[in-house]
Amino acid sequence: MKLIDQVIVPLSELQIDHHRPVSQKLVLELLNHAVWAPNHMLREPWRFIYVDRGEVDKLEWFSHHPAAHLIIVIKNSSNPMKQNENIAAAFCLIQNFQLLANERELGVNICVHKWMSDRQACAKLGVSEKETIVAVLELAYGVKHQGGRQRKLPNSLNWSLLSEG
Amino acid sequence: MHLEQLIRERRTIRKFNGIPVSENLVMQLMLKAEQLCPYEGEARWRYVYAGTPEAREKLADYLSEKIMGNKMTKLALGKLVESFHKRFMEVPANVIAIAKTDPVPGKNAEAYGRLCRILQNFQLLAWEQQLGMVWKTEPAPVLQNEQFYNRIGLNEDERFVGLLQIGYFDKAPKGRTRTPAERRWTAMESSSFGNV
Repeated sequence: MKLIDQVIVPLSELQIDHHRPVSQKLVLELLNHAVWAPNHMLREPWRFIYVDRGEVDKLEWFSHHPAAHLIIVIKNSSNPMKQNENIAAAFCLIQNFQLLANERELGVNICVHKWMSDRQACAKLGVSEKETIVAVLELAYGVKHQGGRQRKLPNSLNWSLLSEG
Repeated sequence: MHLEQLIRERRTIRKFNGIPVSENLVMQLMLKAEQLCPYEGEARWRYVYAGTPEAREKLADYLSEKIMGNKMTKLALGKLVESFHKRFMEVPANVIAIAKTDPVPGKNAEAYGRLCRILQNFQLLAWEQQLGMVWKTEPAPVLQNEQFYNRIGLNEDERFVGLLQIGYFDKAPKGRTRTPAERRWTAMESSSFGNV
């Protein structure tokens, strides 16, 4: 199917199947496509931490529903402009991952949590002071809620022309 | 297989051919890009478009202005900037992407991240239509400077996310291989629920 014909069903709209695990093998397979995201000077600033459900139970600030979590971490740059470029690249990778997962009927929630900047939480995950957690992806299989609320898709853009300025 | 191929084969395009780009198509693809990135509530980002010859000239002026404003650099780099200006003007379509900022750090990062994801969808959707682009974030004196921000009408509670230069192309550059994800991988797993 062409991308133009795809529809994204996020994890929040799925009835989670708690018996179906999300394997490391699959996540790695999808990531190896997702890393083709554009990134400045091919810095590939990212690394990945996969947390399975058994481990999540030991981390109180994680949601316990998804089958697995994937944490996207970048190396910090002292140059704020480069830091922003690195964050942008990581989000392009995350979007690739969501599109690929969606095609395999794997639900993804892309979360930006307050605790991501908490030093203690980071240390527990092995994230150093020279790194930043960009997002936490919650992963699970599920079926679409029956009779669930139909999400409204955007139908217009905040669009203006330069000459109007 | 199509999506994997699309993601792997998309390239950054810097050299465009002269085929005109329809503003309507760019808008349609951007709207689809937003729909592929579901969100609740108001959009906290916007776009400024330059596609007509007049708008493109104006944008090229803004992009060269800071360098030309300095007498020394004007003397030293005048010729170079003239050729920059010409190249900027030749870009068929330009989208400036702007995100709202927020004093709450999390909210700030959220809007920035979401706009980046939308722009990645847009790059892929455009590639599907044989439309290429480069996402520019150059430092001053070209892009990231106050004078340029004023010219494009950036508000105090907004941040510049990128300038997309868009057009059709004749040749795509070769891709450069990526580091396998396995080499950037850490697993935290319990033996009871590990490698399945």
